[in-house]
Amino acid sequence: MGIPGRTDDHQWSQRHLSHYVEGDLRPRARRRLDRHARGCVDCGRGIRAMRALVYAVQGLGGLAGMRAPETIFDRVRSGGPGGEPASSRA
Amino acid sequence: MMPPEGLPVPGPVEHAPELADTEASLLARAQAGDVGAFERLSGAYADRVFMLLLRLLGDRSEAEDVAQEVMLRAWQGITRFRGQSSYFTWLYRIAVNEANRALERRSRRPTRVAIGVDELQLPAPAALDPSRQAENSELRRALSRALAELPPPLRTALVLRDVEGLSTQEAAEIAGISQAAFKSRLHQARLRVRVAIGDQALVTAGG
Repeated sequence: MGIPGRTDDHQWSQRHLSHYVEGDLRPRARRRLDRHARGCVDCGRGIRAMRALVYAVQGLGGLAGMRAPETIFDRVRSGGPGGEPASSRA
Repeated sequence: MMPPEGLPVPGPVEHAPELADTEASLLARAQAGDVGAFERLSGAYADRVFMLLLRLLGDRSEAEDVAQEVMLRAWQGITRFRGQSSYFTWLYRIAVNEANRALERRSRRPTRVAIGVDELQLPAPAALDPSRQAENSELRRALSRALAELPPPLRTALVLRDVEGLSTQEAAEIAGISQAAFKSRLHQARLRVRVAIGDQALVTAGG
């Protein structure tokens, strides 16, 4: 197997940007991506984009004021189809 | 729905000893057939379950329907809960399973309605100037659309880990897969969303 070239490094780096920002790469793999990204505009931007993506998605979690409907236990209360704990039916 | 009186708002990972004690007591009563205890126990997590379903299903009325089904399934299965995971994890796993069943049913129907970011009334960060707020709002719309387009297993991974902020271990447990498999789905999901939105838009929005 030959030494990976720039194209190999680029494709590999693009596939592992999420692993990189998650801290899931082993030290050697992390160094490989770091080394490549220093000379690659696309991958440098890709790292920033992936970090921004994770940050933005985390921001979707703030559904302030969103409440479960009052009806959430209606089927439990009505006894629904088989609406009792299993041991009670046995 | 507010948490039952006397129960603090729960977190997904850390549970205060008092809550754990209360949960244990409520759980024992629920397993003995006390429906009121079950409602207090599960009601502490009702809002979070509902929000999870909204994120996974993208449709409010469907999420309301599935939320009822989740509670019914939990009630029917409460005697089988052995405490090998937290009650929260167990309940969330039921929610994810029921959401997946609903998505399967939906895939056999011709149309679907995805919930929009405006309908969810997400608060915009107040500190941003109007142009940044507009960019931010646009990004969140794009994120919601991209999330809705993901295959359910990938969407579940992204929602549990990144939106809900659960640990990989807990999220994998809820999804019912190994941590390695969960990570693989998470990375795939992020890559797809990144491609859908574009690096430039993300970098610009991220400042």
